[in-house]
Amino acid sequence: MNFLSVLISGLGAGATYAIIAIGYTMVYGIAKMLNFAHGDIIMVGGYAMFVTLALVGHPVAAVAAAILAAVLVCVLMGVSVERFAYKPLRGASPLAVLITAIGVSYLLQSLAQIIFGSASKMLSGLQIAGHVMLGTLRINYVTLVTLAVTVVLMVALTLFIKYSKTGRAMVAVSEDRDAALLMGINTNAIIAITFAIGSALAAIAAYLMLAKGASLANTLGAMPGIKAFTAAVIGGIGSLPGAVLGGILLGVVESLSYSIPALAPFTDAVEFGILIVILLVKPAGLLGKARREKV
Amino acid sequence: MKRILALVLAVLMIAGCCAALSSCSKTTKTIKIGLSGPLTGGAAVYGQAVKNAAQMAVDEINAAGGLNGIPLELKALDDVHDSSKIATNYAELMDWGMQVSLGCVTSAPCLEFLKYAKDDSVFFLTPSASNDGVPNGENSYQMCFADGNQGKVAADYVNSLYTAGNLGKLGIFYKSDDNYSKGIYDQFVANLNSAIDEKVMSFTDANATDFTTQIGALAECDFIFMPIYYEPAAQFMIQGKDTIRDTAVYYGCDGFDGLEGQLGDDMDEIDQAISMLSHFNSKATEGKAKEFIDKYTAKHGTDTLNQFGAAAYDCIYALHKAMTELIAEGKEIDHKTDAADLCEMLKGKFNGGFTYSGATGSNMKWEGGFVNKGAIAYEIKARAAA
Repeated sequence: MNFLSVLISGLGAGATYAIIAIGYTMVYGIAKMLNFAHGDIIMVGGYAMFVTLALVGHPVAAVAAAILAAVLVCVLMGVSVERFAYKPLRGASPLAVLITAIGVSYLLQSLAQIIFGSASKMLSGLQIAGHVMLGTLRINYVTLVTLAVTVVLMVALTLFIKYSKTGRAMVAVSEDRDAALLMGINTNAIIAITFAIGSALAAIAAYLMLAKGASLANTLGAMPGIKAFTAAVIGGIGSLPGAVLGGILLGVVESLSYSIPALAPFTDAVEFGILIVILLVKPAGLLGKARREKV
Repeated sequence: MKRILALVLAVLMIAGCCAALSSCSKTTKTIKIGLSGPLTGGAAVYGQAVKNAAQMAVDEINAAGGLNGIPLELKALDDVHDSSKIATNYAELMDWGMQVSLGCVTSAPCLEFLKYAKDDSVFFLTPSASNDGVPNGENSYQMCFADGNQGKVAADYVNSLYTAGNLGKLGIFYKSDDNYSKGIYDQFVANLNSAIDEKVMSFTDANATDFTTQIGALAECDFIFMPIYYEPAAQFMIQGKDTIRDTAVYYGCDGFDGLEGQLGDDMDEIDQAISMLSHFNSKATEGKAKEFIDKYTAKHGTDTLNQFGAAAYDCIYALHKAMTELIAEGKEIDHKTDAADLCEMLKGKFNGGFTYSGATGSNMKWEGGFVNKGAIAYEIKARAAA
């Protein structure tokens, strides 16, 4: 097994984790909560694409329409979850919010199973087939697309946060919510926008996963969600570049571990083991800022 | 206002009591059959299939007069394919009055179920928990092939290909944290001709979505043995259709059943051949398998049509046949029969040359709890014409 090809498939997997991790990290950075339903928003996006594909006849138009529909549905879902489940708990203990998030996660999974059934579905209309050969090294188009989308999204988000008014308001809210409120920033609106962006990213992640040939089930986002959360913590939760770094790192480690038969059965253990090691050595994560708690 | 409210509440309470009483008095005499399976969660498609098919068999038998005039009753509880739920489920089934059981749908929960059922001597015939540790010939019996037997039968097949010079390079793709997959894999490797050099890849995550690494490693194989369920298998085949050799053969066990429905039209895009070892053919065109397929799809569609359901259907009928024969032999079996007494009778029956023919095979016999029946070699899809 060629080491380079293992590395490249790891980058592909990692890039998907990175996009999901960005959603986790942004919501944590700004709303200071762990949105454990984030992975299930991916699944909602998947089903939105499934429905659109069935409705639109033309194959190319269907893919475009499916992505658009997924983004819209996910944004709507993310914002309403925030509005109806999390907003009433603003100021409640973090534990209450965490439990609510887990509850929302189960609710979404169960609803999807009731509506669409328990059998998983293949969406061949979304798959990106084909590959390019570099010498003996084979790179799938879908891996290239995933990597390109991740880089573009990360650059665009960084620019948005640095230079747009809304983006800077987001930074302000993340630094000190009360002070931002006093400065005239509508913190509730900013938090809603953060959820909207995170959910749109989840829709993109859903597309990339299905493009790779994942089958759609109500648990589509469960494990990738947990892996991406791990990635966000490894990178330093709250840090955008950290989420990307953590995601890529986790993807590469996963791929390497799978490629070694003796290690393959313990891949999950290896991945979560890395999390433990990093938390022990650098509790704030690779790129996270260590903050002293104000007493 | 308060008085009216009190009155309404009182009426409601009386109505509630009446409802409870009438439901009590409605409890008729039934033979109670208990079952625990994944009705929700990642493995729900198997649990739903078993529940639907078992209920269908129960309804048919009851319509034809039940067991000597006493109807059968099925109670299926959800264990989400999680062993930790079994203690509660088992207790609930026992409280309900379970007399005989189908055990669990999946292997790990079934091993847990066995611990309790063995202590209480509750007889169960599992449709699909294929782990080698499940059947014991005392209270636990299987309708499906045990994992180890499938691994051995598959290894015999591969060895014969090798001897004939038709094997090429052998690859294996299995799920290393799954009792079903690991059980078959271990037995397969143990029975494999030691001259064969195999390339082994595995995965662990139940919701794995990306097999790029494993596909890359197996790209040069001619024969890929995949003792896994059809959902990850379909995913592997779709993701690997360009990378794996066009001339390769995918070979799976009973977990492959349902693959066609899963792949749908995508099946045509896969050049590789697909075949499997099984006891049920979901596109059978004759015999009892065909009868089952027609009845099941008319009621529940094709979404959950698989060997789990067919085996569950056979379990109910096999239990019914065994109990009917026992009654004919002069044994007394009715709604009052104690689970342990029934277990003793059924044990004697199943260990004493009882035979049954159904949707998943004919002339089945049981030995030490393991079922003995012929495997069907079933080609799901031929290699695409070059």
